[in-house]
Amino acid sequence: MSLEAKAPRDFTYIRPRKRRLSEYEAVTCYTQPDPDVFDKQGWYLRSAEGRTAWRKESTRLRHPHWFDFRDPAGLWQRTYVRLQAEQERSLERAVEDAARAGAFADFEPTWVRELVGAHYRVWSFFEYGLFRCFAQAQRETLSDTLGNVYCFAGFDRVRHAQAIVIYLMDLEGQIEGFQDAGAKERWLGDPVYQPARRMTEELMAVDDWGELAVAVHLVVDPIFGEVGLSEMLRRHGPFHGDAVTPLVVSTAERDRRRNCDWTEELVRMVTAAEVPARDENRRIVGEWVARWTPRALAAAEALAPVHERIPRRLGTFREAVERASAAQAAIVAALEARSTEAA
Amino acid sequence: MRSLIEAHNRVKDFDWEPSYAKKPTRYPTRYRIPAKTKDPFRHLIRDYLSMEEEKDNRQYGALEDALARSNAPAKAERRWMEIMKVALPVVNFGEYAAMKSTGQLVDTIENAELRQGYMAQMLDEVRHVNQEAYLTRYFARHAADPEGFAQGFKFRGTNLYNRAGRAALEGFFVGDPIEGALNLQVVAETAYTNPIFVAMTEIAAANGDQATPSVFLSIQSDEARHMANGYSTLAAVVSNPDNLAFLQADFDRAFWRQHAFLDPFLGAVYDYFQAKRTSSYGEKWNEWIHEDWVGCYIEKLAPFGLKVPRWYGEARERMKWIGHTAGLIGFATWPLQFWRFDPLTDADMEWFERKYPGWYGHYGAFWEEYRKMCDPRAGAVPLSLFQSLPPLCRVCQMPCVFPRPDVSTVRIKEHGGKKHAFCSEACEFIFDEDPQRYLGYDTFYELYDGYDLAEFVRENGLLRADGKTLIAQPSLDDERMWTIDDLAALKIEIKNPLREVGA
Ligand SMILES: [Fe+2]
Ligand SMILES: [Fe+2]
Repeated sequence: MSLEAKAPRDFTYIRPRKRRLSEYEAVTCYTQPDPDVFDKQGWYLRSAEGRTAWRKESTRLRHPHWFDFRDPAGLWQRTYVRLQAEQERSLERAVEDAARAGAFADFEPTWVRELVGAHYRVWSFFEYGLFRCFAQAQRETLSDTLGNVYCFAGFDRVRHAQAIVIYLMDLEGQIEGFQDAGAKERWLGDPVYQPARRMTEELMAVDDWGELAVAVHLVVDPIFGEVGLSEMLRRHGPFHGDAVTPLVVSTAERDRRRNCDWTEELVRMVTAAEVPARDENRRIVGEWVARWTPRALAAAEALAPVHERIPRRLGTFREAVERASAAQAAIVAALEARSTEAA
Repeated sequence: MRSLIEAHNRVKDFDWEPSYAKKPTRYPTRYRIPAKTKDPFRHLIRDYLSMEEEKDNRQYGALEDALARSNAPAKAERRWMEIMKVALPVVNFGEYAAMKSTGQLVDTIENAELRQGYMAQMLDEVRHVNQEAYLTRYFARHAADPEGFAQGFKFRGTNLYNRAGRAALEGFFVGDPIEGALNLQVVAETAYTNPIFVAMTEIAAANGDQATPSVFLSIQSDEARHMANGYSTLAAVVSNPDNLAFLQADFDRAFWRQHAFLDPFLGAVYDYFQAKRTSSYGEKWNEWIHEDWVGCYIEKLAPFGLKVPRWYGEARERMKWIGHTAGLIGFATWPLQFWRFDPLTDADMEWFERKYPGWYGHYGAFWEEYRKMCDPRAGAVPLSLFQSLPPLCRVCQMPCVFPRPDVSTVRIKEHGGKKHAFCSEACEFIFDEDPQRYLGYDTFYELYDGYDLAEFVRENGLLRADGKTLIAQPSLDDERMWTIDDLAALKIEIKNPLREVGA
């Protein structure tokens, strides 16, 4: 066979997860250098404090080859941007359609004022705090495939934060007397939001990227996000003549599912049978879940007075919290079971 | 209609002063940045997303079109395509480093306006990483000779120019985050993206490569925003006079570190790999770096106390020869590389003499000899024209042969009981400012001292699919290709040149 016939016609240095190298893998894998992979000379530069470009100690989790991680959604920039552009377009259209149809006139006034105006808008501060967490964490993750999911998770947050703000501006234009005001004061001082702010600030202080993803995607989102967004806003909207707010929330829920998926994948990866540190990793993940569960619950439970303001409540607040909490526990239990199986 | 101005004000009002928990200082900075300054980023995320989506569609669509119409990449000038094998992995790490740089800026800079710009840049940089990796793979699939594209990022660790590229580009995110922003946004993006993403596309297009321009120009359309980030960051920095004490030194270092790698490298890429010849790197440098960046941009900052970088004069002086020296070293060490080299023709040499008067006197003899060594049957490699391999600079990783081997500014000195080489007074000065920043790695010679060239090639996988023909070749002649046996027969040893020299 001639030399030319044998020449490789695709990347040869990436081990595909499936049978063939995916576009996602091709444009992502090994874009981060690593002395344990191809860059055996090490790091050429240190900071004045002596740190190198990346550090194994950036997480307590241990894995022999972080580059094995794959985003189950297989997103790269183009597919990520397309997905989010679609979500944003759908919101733009939903508001336009509702305005044309005069649907905003059906919004129950107390609902709009108390839940959409007062409550939802505060959420944007929580989201922005998490944007900063993930933007920083992507800097530290120990592979490119991880860096990208963290980067996208950060962007998800700031997208949602802005989507809320834009939506409320639209409501100002559509609903007589509606005003977006006082959200920052509530975030900073209203007792209803202080456990959430405390939790957010504590997340911003977390210095371990593994912990951040586990805390946010496996604990905080499923409990606090489920109660504050899904239960209170998405489920109740239609009963107050509001079909639009649930759509805005559902874009964040879609992001939440994706982030939960890859975080589960990360946990599976570090607790897989062939990973030498799997037991220690499993213990650490358990420790993180235990640390953040009471915080997320406290943040969710403090929202009870907001729930009281919903004019037509579907069940009690306690039930809502319990549902969320049970669903979150099920996520963790399923992961536990899988990783124990693996061991 | 919602007011865009009002929307901007509201989406920038997400900051608050934490009171329950204190964020650790993850990336210490000496700079004090005011909490409120001008906003470099004037888009809502919603608009940004649809803008980028459309650009992606255009660019990826153009690559598919080029293929469908004429399988263009296979027909591009092979000389030009060869250098993309090394240029793409270098630039790709710059993008990746930039993504990390913006992440630490988001964490560090307590200024909501500036952070808006960093936020979008972070995703832009993922875009650029993906685009360039995509292009590398596209070439692996469609270029006339895929070897070298197919292994793209793998060789970054051991290749001479890729290592030096990494050394310069780590400056984007290793160190004070503002120093990183100076390296990335103020120097690399504002000064050098024009020669890279704009000027280089002229050469690519002239040489039948339509894919690179569609990717690079699409990348460059994001760069205007990154330059604005740099300008706003710099404006914020100079607005506090206390910052000036270290700003100039950081700026001087940033310029030199980027120049020391980028200019010799880009000079070689431009001038030694165009087949259909257009302008020279020297001309482009004058236009973009001297007139545009120094003349307009830096000049504008003079009233705030920022001066033209300390070693700018020396850099400008060096520009006459460093690209040729980098080219000479690249060709002379071809068995260590992972792409092919096309010997200069008489017409090329005339072009060089015209563009760089005096060129032939200094470099002509090498090129005359080089041509005679392309055929493996001649049994010689151009390395044999030199007494030894050059030492590599402790700071910038470039060979210490600049500006020109006969008038090299190399200096050697002892530190911590070891000898270290520096390519220039500037690199030595930068080392002396804080030596520990540059001592945390094994040098190339520490790793490979005593290796036979053939052993180096084998260990680093620099062989084609048949397991015996070298990926690198001194020419484009497919009939006479070097094999590992040809190389092994020469018994050339990699020797640490610092072993012999006295300090
Ligand atoms: Fe970039
Ligand atoms: Fe140097």
